[in-house]
Amino acid sequence: MAVGDLALLVATIMGVYSLLAIGLNMHWGDTGLLNFAHAAFFAIGAYTSAILTTPPETGLLANRTVGASYPIFVGLLAGATLAAAAGVLIAVTSVRLEGDYLAMVTLSFAELIRLVIHNEGWLTSGAQSLKGIERPLEGSVPIRYDLFYFLLVLGVVAGSYLLFRRLAGSPFGRVLHAVREDEEVPLALGKDTTWFKLKSFGLGAAIAGLAGGLWAHYVYAITPNMFLPSLTFTIWAAVIIGGAGSYLGAIVGTAFIVGIRQVTRFVPSDVPFASDLPYIRLVVIGVLLIAVLYYRPYGLLGDEERMLAGSEEGAD
Amino acid sequence: MAGFDPQFVMAAFDPQFLWNGLVVGSIIAVAALGLTLIFGILNFINIAYGDYMAVGAYFAFAANTQYDLPIVVAALIGMVVMAVGALVVDKLVFERFRSRSAIVLLVVSIGVAFVLRNLIRIVWGTGSRRFSGPIEAAPQFFGIRVLPDQVAIVVISVAILGGTYLLLRRTRIGIAMRAASDDTDLARIRGIDTERLVTYVWLVGGAIAGIAGILLGLDAQIRPNMGFTALIPIFAAVILGGIGDPIGAVAGGYAIGITQELSVVVIPTEYKPAIGLLLLIIGLLSKPEGIFGEATR
Repeated sequence: MAVGDLALLVATIMGVYSLLAIGLNMHWGDTGLLNFAHAAFFAIGAYTSAILTTPPETGLLANRTVGASYPIFVGLLAGATLAAAAGVLIAVTSVRLEGDYLAMVTLSFAELIRLVIHNEGWLTSGAQSLKGIERPLEGSVPIRYDLFYFLLVLGVVAGSYLLFRRLAGSPFGRVLHAVREDEEVPLALGKDTTWFKLKSFGLGAAIAGLAGGLWAHYVYAITPNMFLPSLTFTIWAAVIIGGAGSYLGAIVGTAFIVGIRQVTRFVPSDVPFASDLPYIRLVVIGVLLIAVLYYRPYGLLGDEERMLAGSEEGAD
Repeated sequence: MAGFDPQFVMAAFDPQFLWNGLVVGSIIAVAALGLTLIFGILNFINIAYGDYMAVGAYFAFAANTQYDLPIVVAALIGMVVMAVGALVVDKLVFERFRSRSAIVLLVVSIGVAFVLRNLIRIVWGTGSRRFSGPIEAAPQFFGIRVLPDQVAIVVISVAILGGTYLLLRRTRIGIAMRAASDDTDLARIRGIDTERLVTYVWLVGGAIAGIAGILLGLDAQIRPNMGFTALIPIFAAVILGGIGDPIGAVAGGYAIGITQELSVVVIPTEYKPAIGLLLLIIGLLSKPEGIFGEATR
């Protein structure tokens, strides 16, 4: 592959993951909710859209007996909606828990969802990959297809960025910020804080579901192993490094993390330690995450005041 | 046999499941004991704990197969390495974040987990490994297959649990640990040097994590992500037992192991891992203070 093709591929992955980071930034950056189920919302979006747009398997080894051929935008919409519903459902049960307990419960829910996807082969093809997922408008765009898809993802990222930044600055967003800093205050002012948390969870999950759909229609084939907890942790690293509370930071952080993870594609395979590079770069991400939290707790572009609020320094 | 779908067949009850449950439960109980000790004093969710287990298992593996040491010696090496290792990680990383919130520490531990797991992959590769040892025939007792490794796991677990019990009950350090776990501020006021206590907690918790990883490797395989994938039932045991409550965690560990293995009587085998997940969710949602414990926060 030429360098240009690789660059487009990496940029498209950055775009899809940026959507995940935007969703997580609504949860953690704006509302202070520890969502560790993000990979599951991504999976729900991907599988929903894939199943709705890809007919059932045929032949002797057919596994999946459910499928349809709806237009792709229907799949994407349904994926985002279902992911949002799952987000709200998980939040309804657990959003009252204290921060780190919420993290454990959401992580468990995500693994439960992955277990179902893995085991229900009639619906999802199970451990085998769900193959032959259609790409939108393939063969009918006047430009190179991978350029078209990148521009499509870029457009969705730009739209989501503007929308979520606007939401964060709106009266709705200000209540979310108040919930994040000290829930007692908006509660005392008569705001139904649980309801606001549910909406935050739903919106963030919806954008993760949309990202899942865009992912599925880009990569042709999806498997449950694409949605491991380590994906959630990677997005967390991106949001923290970029700076929690800043949507631009979420995108920059994602570009940074995906850049580290994908840079090895550009490295020739005959350099020393080439076979260990995939793991070395994950060590680097781990070290960076710790270093950023230590030296620059508000991240590259984060809001310094956000970090100080709630801490003892901020109380002065 | 029209409509016969093997996916939905459940197993009939078999005493074998009880024995398997005891073996799995022993591993979870030991692992949960180490985790609850650390959790009780340090007060944050350490995602890297599973990777501590893996590190212990890999060092024992290296001593056992690469240096041909007997498995018992290798296991002791694994424990010591992880005891010191947990302390080193604390000095390098966690200590610097002591004044920060539990949430920051949770995220920091994700970074530590990334580093440890991938260092393992770089040093030992990604494939699965086994301790060296003959593959022995499994004698049958009353129709139950009992592997020698399984007997070792159950016996070693009881020894570790008993030793830790004595440590917590009979030694000054152990009593101080329990006091600090109950109420850190009160312990400090009573003159307990809590920073020194933290050192002991990492040593003891790290050693227990190491041996838990070795037992897990003895029962199944040694893989870089073995500890991480085992983490959820271990956390479930800690939560069910009440955070910081060693006896509760052990009881929770055995309960989860046995429930998980017996569950195949009522649910399809593929859903066995769901038991740990569901117990963790239900445990946190219904009684975050644990079935045996009292509220710790």
